[in-house]
This record gives sequence, C-alpha cells and structure tokens, in this order.
Amino acid sequence: MSAAGSPGGHHASVARAWRAAALFALLVVPVLAPPFWITLLNYIGLYSIVALGLVLLTGVAGQTSFGQAAFVGVGAYTTAFLSINYPAISPWLNLIVGVGLTALIALFLGFITLRMKGHYLPLATIAWGISLFYVFGNLEFLGGHTGLTGISVLNLFGLPLRNERYFFYLIWAIALASLWMTQNLLDSRPGRAIRALKGALEMAEAFGVDAVRLKIIVFVYAAVLACVSGWLYAHLQRFVNPTPFGIGQGIEYLFMAVVGGAGSVWGAVVGATLITLLKQVLQDALPHLLGREGNFEVAVFGVLMIVLLQRTREGVWPWLARLLPGPVPAPVSAPPPGTALARRERPHHDAPLLAVDRARKQFGGLVAVNDLSFELRAGEILGLIGPNGAGKSTMFNLISGALPLTRGEIRFVGAPIGDLQPFDIARRGIGRTFQHVRLVPTMSVLDNVALGAYLRGHAGVLRAALRLDRAEESRARAEAAAQITRVGLEGSLHAAAGSLALGQQRIVEIARALAADPMLLLLDEPAAGLRYREKQELAALLRNLRKEGMTILLVEHDMDFVMGLTDRLVVMDFGEKLAEGLPAQIQNNPVVLEAYLGAV
Amino acid sequence: MSALLAVRDLRVAYGKVQAVHGVSIDVDEGRIVTVIGPNGAGKTTLLGAIMGLLPSRGDVELFGVPAQRMPVEQRVESGLCLVPERRELFGAMSVGDNIELGAFPRRRDRSVRATRDEVYQRFPRLAERRSQLAATLSGGERQMLALGRALMGKPRLLMLDEPSLGLAPLIVREIFSIIATLKASGVSILLVEQNARAALQVADYGYVLETGEVVAEGTSALLSVDPRVAATYLGQAAASGASPA
Repeated sequence: MSAAGSPGGHHASVARAWRAAALFALLVVPVLAPPFWITLLNYIGLYSIVALGLVLLTGVAGQTSFGQAAFVGVGAYTTAFLSINYPAISPWLNLIVGVGLTALIALFLGFITLRMKGHYLPLATIAWGISLFYVFGNLEFLGGHTGLTGISVLNLFGLPLRNERYFFYLIWAIALASLWMTQNLLDSRPGRAIRALKGALEMAEAFGVDAVRLKIIVFVYAAVLACVSGWLYAHLQRFVNPTPFGIGQGIEYLFMAVVGGAGSVWGAVVGATLITLLKQVLQDALPHLLGREGNFEVAVFGVLMIVLLQRTREGVWPWLARLLPGPVPAPVSAPPPGTALARRERPHHDAPLLAVDRARKQFGGLVAVNDLSFELRAGEILGLIGPNGAGKSTMFNLISGALPLTRGEIRFVGAPIGDLQPFDIARRGIGRTFQHVRLVPTMSVLDNVALGAYLRGHAGVLRAALRLDRAEESRARAEAAAQITRVGLEGSLHAAAGSLALGQQRIVEIARALAADPMLLLLDEPAAGLRYREKQELAALLRNLRKEGMTILLVEHDMDFVMGLTDRLVVMDFGEKLAEGLPAQIQNNPVVLEAYLGAV
Repeated sequence: MSALLAVRDLRVAYGKVQAVHGVSIDVDEGRIVTVIGPNGAGKTTLLGAIMGLLPSRGDVELFGVPAQRMPVEQRVESGLCLVPERRELFGAMSVGDNIELGAFPRRRDRSVRATRDEVYQRFPRLAERRSQLAATLSGGERQMLALGRALMGKPRLLMLDEPSLGLAPLIVREIFSIIATLKASGVSILLVEQNARAALQVADYGYVLETGEVVAEGTSALLSVDPRVAATYLGQAAASGASPA
C-alpha cells in the first residue's frame, strides 16, 4: 500500500472518494427521486446487466451476438410460468431453474453457432434470436402474444418487494455484483485467455488455451446474465409478453455495449444509461419539435447511432474514464518461499534434446521438407537458415505442432511429438515466439507474459469471477514479473503491450515463452524488422539465456545476427539439408554461398 | 540517354520501423537495372513506394516529371507497371481475362488487339491455356501470365519484384531469358531480386540493398565479382572467404 501523500496514495484516495459518493447516491436516490426516475433507473439497471454480458462476449471475446434479448425472455418466462402454475415454489428457486435452462440452451446454441466464422456468427445469432421470440409468442402455455399476468411478488428475507423503490436496491445490488464478478474475471487467468480470443487466438492455443471451450463458456456466462435480468424484469412488472424479447431489443442491447464502450465493464452501464435516456428524450421532445405525433424517434435514434459510432469507435466510456483518476496497478509481490510455481527439471548440458528424424512434409505434390534430419543438444543455440523458399518456416511449424508431419519423426527428450497439437507441445516444454508479433496490445506487458504461464495454473471462470483465485494469481503474476525482469524490461511492467517499440515487443514475446518454463525455445525470425541496437540487445539476451542453460532453435534471415550468436547452423535449400556445421565453416562453404547467391 | 526513373533519398517507414533509409537509384531508358539483396532488405518496400502504394519521403521523378503527388493510377497511365512479388493474379478468372485486364489503362486504344497478339506470340504456353483458370497454372506459367498481363499495358518502365521467387532453377532460367528479350523490344526494366546471380547476368547496372540502404552499386560485370555482394548474403566473413564466381 503506498503512503498517503505520494501520487499513488493520492490517486487511491480520490478513487475511494468517487466510489463512496457513487454508493451514497445509489442508496439515497430511491428515497428522494420521483417515481418516474426510479422506473428509469430500474430499467437502466436491468439493461446494464444484459449489456455487461455483451461487453464480455462481443467487446472482449469478439463474438458478435444480436440475440441476447432471447435469453432475457427465457429467464422471464421461466419464472412467469412457474410462479403462475406452481405458486408454492419460491421465485428464487425459479431463478435457479431459469439459469439452468438458459445455460442448457446457451450450451446447445453456442456449440453450433460459435464454430461459425465471419459474418455467419452474427447472422446465426439473429436467427435464433428471432426463433426464440416466435417460440414465446406461439406457445399457448406461455400465453401466446398476450403474455402471462399475475406473476407473484418477490420476497427478500420476508420483505415483499412490491414497490419500485425496493426493487431499485435489488436490481442495482445484482448489477454491481455482476460488474464486480466480470471485472474479477477479466483480471484473472481465464480473463487473460478471453482477452486473447479476439486478435490472437492461434497464439493463445499455442500456450494451452482451449479456445472453443472458452468461447462457449463466455457465451453461457453472457446468457446467464441476460437470464437474471429477465427474472428481475418479470418480478418487477409482474407481467410478461414477447415484445421486449425480440430482435429489436437484441440489437439495442448490442448498441448499448458498443456505444458505452465494449472494452470495459463500465461501458455497459454508460451505454445502458445513454441509450435509455436518449430514447426517453426523443420520445418526449420529438412530437413537440415536429408538431405532430408519430414514431420519428426510431429514425432519429438510428441516425444518432451512426454518428456516435463514427465519432467514438471505442465507445463513450474511454472518454469519460479520462476524467476520472486512472486505476493504480496492483503491485507485484514475491510469493512466500516455497509456494512459487513448480519448475521443470532441466536437462543435462549437451544431452540430446530434439531429434528431427527424416521429417517429410508434402502439400499435395509439393515437397516442402524432404527427409530432413538434424539434432539439437541441450544448452546450444542452433540456427536454421537457408534462402527464401527453402522450407525453414515449414520445418519450424512441424516442430511447433502448427503443421502435421507427412512422414518421419520428431522426438523431444526421446518422446515423439510429431502428432501433437500446439498446446500439447507447449505442455511438454517447448516455447515459441511468432514471426509477426502476437501480443494483446491493450493488455499490460505483465498480463501478456502471464498468459505464457496459462498451463501452470488451474483457476477456472467461476473461481476467477468470485475472486477465489488470488493465491494462484499472485504466483502467476510473480512468475511473469520475474521473467520480465530476466529479459530486462522491468521498467515496462504495467505498460500496454501495444505501446512498446517492435524490438521490445519481440522481447516480451520471449518473456512470455519463458513464463511457460520451457526446455527449448523456438524463435521465428526474432531479428526481423529490428534496428541495429535492438538486434544487439536481443543477441545479448539470447546469450544470457544460453548461459543459464536454455536451448534455442532459431530461424533467421539476418546473417550478421546469426553468425555471431549461434553455436551451430543447419542450412536448408529446396526442403533438404544442404550443410551443417559451425558458423565459420558455413560461411566459407561454396555450396552454401551458391545456394544463397542463387542458381542460374 | 534519359532517365526514366530517378529516385533520390527515398525514405519509407512502417509505423515506427524505418524500412528504407535514403535510397537513390536511376533507371535509364533501354536498360535493365537490378536491385539485389537478401530477404528483409527493403526491396519490395522500395518498389511499393515508387509505385505510389506506400507513403514515402524523398524525391521520385518518373519520366522526367516529379511524381510525389501523383496517384497510382496516374503513374500507371504514364507508363509505369509493377509485377508484384506474389504475382496477384485473378485466380478465379481465366488466363485470357487476366491478360485482357492488363490492358485496362489502354482500354480505349485500338492497338490493344495487336498487343494481345504479340503477348500470345511471346508466351505460346499462355495461348494454349487461354481458357484455363489462372489458379490452376504452374509456378512458371503464373510468372509468364503476370508478365504477359503487365506487357498488355505497353509499359515504358516495367518493375519486377523477385520473378524467381518459388521457381525451380530451370524455370528461373526460362523466365530470365524472357526478361532479356523484353529489353530488346524497348521496355526498360527495374528488376528487384534475391537471386543475385541470375539478376546480374541479365542486368546492365545493379544496386545492392541491405537493411534499407544501398551498400554497393556498379555495372553488373563489376558487381558479380564484388566480394561485398557475398557479404550481404552470408555475413562479413564471406567477403574474405569463398569467391562468388
């Protein structure tokens, strides 16, 4: 905790003052405000809960959904049906039934829909959004288009919530709890993985993330939030019909998330507030302005949406957030002795570590790698070089698991790895970087590196949301901080990864690979695009790692970089091994020179 | 001889990364000039900037006219043509259609027909496969189609980006002999290549590019025995080691 009087202390106390003021306002408003405002704020609360799910699903994980209103309907209709037909059952139990039913439907729909790519995904969400709406409207036992009335009153510890003012406290308590849980989730092990889903999915999978499973979990999470909102709505109104659960409302929920700021949980509240108030103002003001009755607010609303989305791509929240004191990043403390993440056993120096045994890769008739064999010994830096089109990248991808072998074997510490998926290879102890840097630019350097330790942790979505993962989380963050210090970037611990220079980003990628505690590091053109000084720093780092016992295989084009750094070289040309040996030998090998300068 | 292309102190950056650091080259009329260098030297970036596809600083004079403010379409209409590194053929269209599209800047010209006949005469294999989809062609045939398409625009200056990329040595020989004949028909060529030997055999003058800078230049005869060329490809020791000849 920073001392009062220091900038961090000042920040923290201003933030606390804001929070206290907001809490006070929330407690006092229902007592003082006129009923119209209470109703409005209740709806804003209900919408915020749904929009929050969309912030996670669409804003962070990148899965666009227009169909959330349908899940609101499932929650509302479940409790409506049960409370009318089985009034003995407590409405709170209806909530549990509703959540269960929603989760099942979401699992089913998610399983089908989330495999779709591009524009098919949003279209599919529109499809089931409309379908569920018609289900609600056409089933007799759900009241058809007239709906169901006479929903029972909700009882909170014996207090009947008949009054909108009482409901205000319940709605906002649940809204704040949802915000708290979602914020916790984003700042955790699964949260880091979710944040990588949108722009760096392949990278996340290389570090052990089961992307398909995670997307479905996020989808169910968002659906459950919508369901809770629906349940609250049913007991607030004590009457449901299909209208609020149609595709129009589904689109509006998405607007709320996007306009509010789909990158932050507060965007949900801001968006819900803005859109609700806007509609209210338009409904009231337009007839006066235009001098006649009619639904013009729809047209004006549409135009305003377009303008807002053009002007504020990131939504309104980031703009507001600048006025508030920024969050102070939690300090990373060393874990108590003996509780740090388990390390792998190091292989003996010079022991054979990786054996490529007559590896062959064919793409139809094209032989990219032609029965190539070489060995890598522990503690050495091996360079894989060759002219363009030689097959170096293909060979690299065969080792990292991105491509399957056609024939031959690749053995790591004696065991074959040729058939394994990238995340299994990561688990065995092979870490890698990417030719084009794959960091999550909006995440801090610390969080990006911590993603590398994904397989060394266990916390799931539920534990993370309820903040039960703090011990494991502090270990992971300590490990990440240790690796960041090891590579010399401790000054940028909390900086957004996207703000670093390319050379530093490359080094962050190496730190991330180190966080997985690998025995072998695969580096894919690490020097590409770097300036001279950055290359020297990178080479110094790699030499240090070698001194510490790390084994490194690098594919590279920059000969000056390679010659001064590697212990041995393997030269490829047309998919075959052209030469193998010490750098000095390779440089003076006329066959190699001929291959590089070109055949005529 | 007049300079068709005069580039002075060209600088191109991708965000924070400076890819080309002040390169100056000249291409005179009726000549083949080559820019050789290893992967990542900035050769493709250089061509992109000359074509107007990338923002750059410095001076580019095209056919005697300063071109910095000229949009790409205008540069093409004045007689500049680029065959990109990845050919960028219209795979779902036939060979014939690809060829036709090459004449787009001259579509109102009557002499397009004569040009088309010339192209098919130069590349009989393309004539055979006129109705075949471009995506089904072999590597060498694709390169021929890309060249043929470029020639349909009757360019004064043709820029070729690594024509040998991905081709077997035998096919490279074929393509380069075609490039040599192009010079005879009055097309000046700026040839960017990784295959230094093939390029220097067909060119008159050459520049050696390494990490965005020209580190050597001269007639192709001189460059082909210059040890600095080997050094850019294999590091410093190669300069004192084996001879490239």
